[in-house]
Amino acid sequence: MASRDEAPKLSSSVKLVLLGEAAVGKSSLVLRFVNDDFQENKEPTIGAAFLTQKCTLPTRTIKFEIWDTAGQERFASLAPMYYRNAQTALVVYDITKPTSLIKAKHWVSELQRQASPGIVIALVGNKLDLAAPVLADDDGGEEGGDAMNGGNRAVLTAEAKAYADEEGLLFYETSAKTGENVQGVFEAIANAIPESTLKPRAGAGGFAGGSGRAGAGSGGGDAGAAGMAVNLEDGVRAKEGCAC
Amino acid sequence: MFSSLLQKATAFITDVPPASPTSPTSSRPTKTTLFRNHFRLPDSQTPLQEITCELTLPSGDHYAGKLYLSESFLCFSPNPPSSSSTASATAGIGFTLPLCAIRRVERLHSRSYMFALAITTWHGVANSTSSPGGKEERVTLQFVGMRSSCEAFCDRLKRGLRSQMGEVKNLRILVDSCYSEYLLGNSGGYDGVKRTTDGAGADDSRKKDKDPPDAGLGMIFKYPGDTRKLRDRSKMRLWAEYLRANFGVENGRNVTLVRQPTFHKLIRVGLPNRLRGEMWELSSGSIYLRLFNPTMYRDILQEYDGRHSHSIEEIEKDLNRSLPEYRGFQDDEGISRLRRVLGAYSWRNEEVGYCQAMNIVTAALLIYMSEEQAFFLLSTLCDRLVPGYYSKTMYGTLLDQRVFESLVEKTMPILWEHLVKSDVQLSVVSLPWFLSLYINSMPLVFAFRVLDVFFLEGPKVLFQIGLAILRINGEELLDATDDGAFISILKSYFSRLDESAHPRSDNEKLRAVTRFQELMVVAFKEFAGITQNTIIEQRNKHKDAVLSSIESFAKRTQLRNLGPDSRRLTPEELSCTYDQYFGVLYERQGRLQMIADEMEKLATKKKAAAGSGVGGNGGERGRVGLGPTTGETGMDYDCFREFLTGVAKWAVADSVASTPAEPTQPEQSGFFGSYGGAAAAALQRKNLLNPWGAGNPEPADHEFMRRLFRRWDTDMKNQLSLGNVVSGLASVVGGKKDIMGNINYWFELYDDDGDGKVDREGILRITEALLFVTRRGDVGRSDGEEAEWGDERILSAVSGFTRMCFEYADPDRPKKEEGVIKVDKDEDEDDLLELAASSSDEDPLDTPETVSPGERSPTTPHPKDNAKANLALDPSNPLHITLPTFRMVILADEVLERFFERGFAESFKLIPGSEPQATAANPRLMARMPSTPLTPGNAKGLRGVLDGIVDEGMRVAAEVRRRMEEMEDNREEEGEEGEAADAKSIREGDRDLLKGAEADIQEGQGQTDGLHIEKGGGSKGEGRGRSVSYGDQISSRVVEFES
Ligand SMILES: Nc1nc2c(ncn2[C@@H]2O[C@H](COP(=O)(O)OP(=O)(O)OP(=O)(O)O)[C@@H](O)[C@H]2O)c(=O)[nH]1
Ligand SMILES: [Mg+2]
Repeated sequence: MASRDEAPKLSSSVKLVLLGEAAVGKSSLVLRFVNDDFQENKEPTIGAAFLTQKCTLPTRTIKFEIWDTAGQERFASLAPMYYRNAQTALVVYDITKPTSLIKAKHWVSELQRQASPGIVIALVGNKLDLAAPVLADDDGGEEGGDAMNGGNRAVLTAEAKAYADEEGLLFYETSAKTGENVQGVFEAIANAIPESTLKPRAGAGGFAGGSGRAGAGSGGGDAGAAGMAVNLEDGVRAKEGCAC
Repeated sequence: MFSSLLQKATAFITDVPPASPTSPTSSRPTKTTLFRNHFRLPDSQTPLQEITCELTLPSGDHYAGKLYLSESFLCFSPNPPSSSSTASATAGIGFTLPLCAIRRVERLHSRSYMFALAITTWHGVANSTSSPGGKEERVTLQFVGMRSSCEAFCDRLKRGLRSQMGEVKNLRILVDSCYSEYLLGNSGGYDGVKRTTDGAGADDSRKKDKDPPDAGLGMIFKYPGDTRKLRDRSKMRLWAEYLRANFGVENGRNVTLVRQPTFHKLIRVGLPNRLRGEMWELSSGSIYLRLFNPTMYRDILQEYDGRHSHSIEEIEKDLNRSLPEYRGFQDDEGISRLRRVLGAYSWRNEEVGYCQAMNIVTAALLIYMSEEQAFFLLSTLCDRLVPGYYSKTMYGTLLDQRVFESLVEKTMPILWEHLVKSDVQLSVVSLPWFLSLYINSMPLVFAFRVLDVFFLEGPKVLFQIGLAILRINGEELLDATDDGAFISILKSYFSRLDESAHPRSDNEKLRAVTRFQELMVVAFKEFAGITQNTIIEQRNKHKDAVLSSIESFAKRTQLRNLGPDSRRLTPEELSCTYDQYFGVLYERQGRLQMIADEMEKLATKKKAAAGSGVGGNGGERGRVGLGPTTGETGMDYDCFREFLTGVAKWAVADSVASTPAEPTQPEQSGFFGSYGGAAAAALQRKNLLNPWGAGNPEPADHEFMRRLFRRWDTDMKNQLSLGNVVSGLASVVGGKKDIMGNINYWFELYDDDGDGKVDREGILRITEALLFVTRRGDVGRSDGEEAEWGDERILSAVSGFTRMCFEYADPDRPKKEEGVIKVDKDEDEDDLLELAASSSDEDPLDTPETVSPGERSPTTPHPKDNAKANLALDPSNPLHITLPTFRMVILADEVLERFFERGFAESFKLIPGSEPQATAANPRLMARMPSTPLTPGNAKGLRGVLDGIVDEGMRVAAEVRRRMEEMEDNREEEGEEGEAADAKSIREGDRDLLKGAEADIQEGQGQTDGLHIEKGGGSKGEGRGRSVSYGDQISSRVVEFES
C-alpha cells in the first residue's frame, strides 16, 4: 500500500509484554496476532510464553518480541522479570468482567512506576464479541447483567476510554475470537513507539541502555521479582526512588 | 527503664535454646523430619524405636540395615535416613509397612542366642490357603543388639500392633482400590496380565465378578501414547513378576511391597499405564495418607458442596483449559473429576487454594489415578515434594529457580557466563518446567516418565532433568544471544525428544537411543552428584534473599494499591506502618502457633493417631514472603493491641505484671544468679508461652483501644486489614493536623448510636480515655517556651473537662418532644457560628487565681455550679452532650486544646527511632517525680509515678461516680419540679459558656482549670486516701486501665 521509494525503512525489534487478569484473553490475542488463529480452550499460561511477530508499517517494520504473562494474582511477583526493558505493554481486561479493569489499572500504575520510563502502554478491552452487537460502540450498555450467558458487556467503553485518556494510554476494544481490532492494536503500538527508543534489529533486549548488568552478587535492593533479582534489578532499580 | 532491662534480660534467657520459629534460616531438617521424608510417612509419625537388624526375604535375599518403629509403621532401610543419601529410601531397598498390614509376628526359636522375628503380612495370609509353602511367605528379621533393647523394641511393636488393629478395615478398603490387587489377585498368571492390559473393554468371562479398580481416565479415554511403542505389556509382565517374586508366593504388593533394586530399575524404564497411579502413590507416600483418611476426600466434597470461594472461581476458569488436547478433558467426565479434586484440595489447604499449573498437574494425575488418589497425591506434592510452589507468594517456585540458577552456574560455568553476558534470564525459560513438573514443556509421554522418577526420588529430579536439558543443548545455546533464540532452541528440542539422539551413528544400538533416553542418562548419570542434600543446602542459602525480594515486591504493590486514604501518610510513615503491621501479624502467628504446639505437647504426651497429616503444612510461617496462613485476613483485637504498642506509647501496659517472676529489687546485680536452674527452666517455659512474646511490651487493654478498633474495622469483620489500619491511622495522624477534625473524631468514637449525642456514660468514658492516653504526660510538643505541663496540670484539665461536660450537658427530653430537640440542636450550631463571628469581651468563666508559679490552682466554683453539677450527675436525669458542647469544652482548656490539636496525633509515632523507647520513662515525669512515695507499697521507680497518675485518674472517675451515687441519694429527697427548673438554667449557662469559649480561643488562653472536686481538693496524699476508701470502684476501674 505504501510507496517504497522513500528513505530506508526503520527496522527494529521491540519488546512487548502482555499483562492482565487471568483468562481475559492475553494468550488468545497473541495467538490471533501471530497465527491468526483462535482456540476455544487455551491453556492458562504458566509463568510466561514467548513469541515473535513482525508488523510492517509504511514507515517502519517492527519485530515484536512478545512476552505473554500468566494472569493469576499470585504470578504478579514474577511480572517484573518479564516487563523489564519492555518498550511497550498491552494491559488487557475483559469487557464482561469489571474486576478485570480494576486489575488492569493496578498494572498500569505498576508499569508507570516500575517499568522503563517512556514505556508505551495500551489498554485493551477484550472479548468484544460478547458485547451485545447493538451496544457495541456506545454507552447505552445495560449494566453487566448476567455475565454468565455471554452477550453482556459490563465495562462501558466510555468509562475505560476516559481512564485511558487520563493516563495517556492507547485504548482499544478487541475480540481475539473474531479478530476484530487485534491487528489494529499492534499497529497502533508500532506507530506509537518513539523513534528514539527504536534501535537496529541486531541486538534485541537492552533498551534501557547504559544500565548494564549488575554483577551476579548484586543482591538485596528493592527490585521486583524475587530470586531472579540478579538480572532484573537494573532496569527497575534505576527509578526506584521510594518504596511505593 | 527497669522494665525494658527486664525484658531484655528475659528475652536473653528465653532466646537461647529453642530456635525462634520465625527464623527462616533455621530450617535444618530434624531427625524426625528426615525419618518421615526417608520413608515417606505422614506427619503424624515419629521414630519411636530403632534397632540394627538383618532382613531375610522369602526369596532368600539378605539385607543388613536398620529397623524403625513409629506409631503406625515398621520400616526397614539399609541406610540411615539422612538428607545426604543419594536417593531416599524408597528409591533403595527396604519396606515401609503399616502395622495394620501385619497379620502375625512370631518369635523364632533360633538355634542360637539370636533374637529373631518372623513377620506375616496381610497379603501373606490372604493367599496362604492357595499357596502351600507357608514358610516362605514370611519375612524374617534378625535383631542385632542387646537383649534388653530387642525386648524393648518387641514390646513397643506389640503395643503398636494392638493400637493399629482398628485400621485393618481401612486397609481392606485401600487394598481393594489398588490395581496391583486386581492384577495379581484375580488372575493366576501372565495370561491374566495380558487380559487386563488389553484395554478397558477387555471382556473376560472368568472375571466378571470383579471390576478393575479405577486406574484413571486412561481406562475410559485411553492412555496417552502408543501402547505398543511404550511396550506397556512387557512392562506390566515385569511388574507382575516382581510383585509376585519379591515377598514370597503371590505376596507383597501395594502397602506390603518390599523394595529391592529391581523396583528402582523398573521405575526408571517407565511405569506401565495401569500401575502408574498406584506406584506414584506408593513411592511418594501419599498412599499412607489415603490409608488413614479413608473418608476425607468424600467428606470434604460433601461438606463444601455448593460453596463458593475465590479459589473455586479461579478453578472454574481453568477447567476447560487443562490438558485440552487429551480426550478425557474434552469430556464432562474428565472435567468434573478435575473440578472435584482441585476444589477439594482448595478447601483442604486454603493457604494454597488454587494456583494455575495445579490444574495441569492434577489433570495429568487423573489420567492414571482415581480422584481420591489424585487428591492425596496432590496434597503430598504441595506439602512435601514441592512446598511453596503453588502458595500465594510462590516462594518455593522462586526459590528453586534461584537454586537452579546457582546449580547451572556451578556445573556449567561457560554457559552461565554466556547467559549473563547476553542478558538472558534463565528462569523465564525454566520456571514453567518446574512449576508444571515438565508436563507443560515436554510431550506428555515423556513428562510422565520424568514424573515416575520424580515421585520416587524427590524434587532433585526436577533439577537433574533441567541441568541435563541445558547440558545437551549447551552448544546451540552458546550461540543464542537473546531470550527469544534461547527459547526457540529449547522448544524445538522438546518437540524432537522421540527422535534418535545419534541419527548419523553407524552403531545401530546408538542410533536407537532416543533423545529422551539420552536426557535421562545425562540427568541421572552426569548429574548424579545433585542430591537431595544439595538442594536443601542451596535452598537454605538463598531463602532469605528470595523472601526479602518477594516481600519488597509485595510491599510496593500493596502500598501502591491502598487507596486514597494512604496518601495522607508520608511514604515513610506508610512504609513503617506496613512493616509494623506485618511484623506484628506474622510474629504473633508464629508465636501463637508455637504456644499451641507447646500446650499440646504438655497436654497429651504424644498423640499416636495416625490420621491427619494432610495439607497440614506444618512447615514454616511468619514471613510475608511465605504467604498468608489459613484464615488470616487481618488483625484481631489482641493483635491490634500489640500493633499499637509499637506505634503509641500509651498502648503499652503500665505494669509488667504478666512478665513472669518480676524481681522485687530491680537494681539487684545478681539478676541471673538469683534463678536456680529449675526456676530458670520454668521461667523459660512461661516466657515461651507468653502470648505477647518474650521481651515484647505488654499491650494495655483499654476501652478506648476497643473503640478505635471498632472504628477502624470499617468492614465489620472484626479484623483489621492493612488498608483498615492505614485508613485508621490516616484519620488520626494523617495530613494537616486539624483540631476540629480531631474533636469530631473523638466525639464520634463515643457517640455509639450516631445520634449526635454522647450520654453520661460516654462522658465518663471519654474522661477515662483522655486520662489513659495522656497518662505518660504527653499532650503534644509545644512550639515555644510555653508548656512543660505537669501531670497535675493534665489531670486538672481532664477533670475540668468532666466537670464542664456535666455542667453544660443537655438534659434528655421526653420522647414526645423529639422535634423540639432537633430545633434546639440546630440552634446550638447556629449560635456557635454566630458567636464565632462576634467577639465577646464577657468572660463568664472563672477567673484564674495564681497560687504558685508554674502551677495553676483549682478554681473556686460558682456557688450555683454545685447545684447544677449535682443535677448533672444525677443518673436518674438522663443527659448528653452534643458536638458543639464537646467542642466548646475542649477549646476552653489550653491543655485539651493542645492535645486535640497535636498531642493525640503526635502520640502516634509511626516511624520508629523517632520516638523514645516505648516503655521508657518520660524524663520530664521522672524529674518531677515526687520525692515522697505516693503509697508506701509502690514507692520505687517509674511504676510508682505511673501508678500515681493512673490512680489519680481513677480517683477522678471514682469521684464522679461517687457523686453520681450521692446524687442518687439526694434525688430521693428532692422533688421533681426543681429538676425541670434547673434543666432550664443549664441551657442558659450553655449559651453563656459558648460565648466565653469563643472569646477564649481568640485570646489564646483558656484557663478554666480546677480540679473541681470539692472534697478531694488538691493534695495527692488525700486523693490517695480517698481512693482507698472507694476501694471497690477503683479496683474495678483499674482493670480497665491495666489489664
Ligand atoms: N468470546 C471470546 N472468548 C475469548 C476471547 N479471547 C479469549 N477468549 C477465551 O477466554 C479464555 C481465556 O483465554 P486466554 O487467552 O487463555 O486468557 P489469558 O489471559 O492468556 O489467561 P492466563 O494465561 O490464565 O492469564 C479462553 O477460553 C479463550 O477461548 C474473545 O475475544 N472472545
Ligand atoms: Mg495466557
